[in-house]
Amino acid sequence: MVLNEHTPVQTQPTGTGSLDFTTFMRSYQDMVFTTAARVTGSDSQAQDIAQEVFVRAYEHFADLAGSATAGGWLKTVATNLSINHLNRYRRRWRMFSEMKVADDESAPEIEWEVPDTLLSDLSAEQRGAIVDAALRRLPDHQRLPLVLYHFEDLSYQEIAVKLGVSLTKVKTDIRRARAALLPVLQDAAARDTLEG
Amino acid sequence: MMNDRDDEKLERLIEGALSGLPLRRAPDLLQRRVLDEIARRAAAPWWRRGFAQWPIAARAGFVIVCVMLAGVSLTSGLMQQFGTQTLTWAQPLIGLMASIGAVTALAVSLVPPLLIYLALGVGALLYALLFGLGAFAYRTLYLQHVNTAMIKS
Repeated sequence: MVLNEHTPVQTQPTGTGSLDFTTFMRSYQDMVFTTAARVTGSDSQAQDIAQEVFVRAYEHFADLAGSATAGGWLKTVATNLSINHLNRYRRRWRMFSEMKVADDESAPEIEWEVPDTLLSDLSAEQRGAIVDAALRRLPDHQRLPLVLYHFEDLSYQEIAVKLGVSLTKVKTDIRRARAALLPVLQDAAARDTLEG
Repeated sequence: MMNDRDDEKLERLIEGALSGLPLRRAPDLLQRRVLDEIARRAAAPWWRRGFAQWPIAARAGFVIVCVMLAGVSLTSGLMQQFGTQTLTWAQPLIGLMASIGAVTALAVSLVPPLLIYLALGVGALLYALLFGLGAFAYRTLYLQHVNTAMIKS
């Protein structure tokens, strides 16, 4: 059984008795890469982050090899490194480049019609491809809280603390991210149905 | 116009679309990259690694030297203040530090204050210019590209 094809958070790879690092890495690499890719919205950045996660895991391998919480540890490190990576560049330009983003809360609301279903006719694989492509199109300040909320199961308050922003901004960004995601997902689903 | 009920409905819809998604496949090269990086870091000399990975003797030596330097600085300050002549073994080091301080003070006193203010002003101006240019490039080359991609989608 390949664990990371079935569960979003792996807790323990099979046969943890005498686990070598390559087997350990193979068991968790998809989860770590997916986490980093969804947070950063970039495959190349996700590769760099996944590499750093496993280098750190190697340094703590004696503790992690037989641990039931290794998956959680890797996921937390991957998420934190991804956030740090985004913040490193954001802080440099925030003063000049994100003045508009800082005022985002006062911007007019986007109006949209809420459909009854969304991607419900598609398989998990098809949905995954569509969602990942759509997430990449969101700006960082919307994608990041959305991913933390829906994929990492953090509360609004936890996200606000983690990102160092106000609770109101987190709620606004997530609401806007959902609203921006909706038409992209609908269009992609319609295209997929036509092509299929 | 959006209301709270629409908001909740949208949250449920997005939650449904995003839940239970399969993991993406990590690139085949990732494993090779990790092993290469581990080998590269293992081959690096100890002083180029993190402090926590230094040999115990080196870490202990570093801490002792730091404590000694802090002690000498503190003692020299006290000696200057109170004129006591304890710690004779530290006299050469204290003398060296005093000389460096005196040379620096002399160099600063030789430069006209106007020149110092001018240099500080030019430095601040160049820093602001560089920052502004960077922000302009970021907005025109990166943000517009992202916005265009969003509109096209």
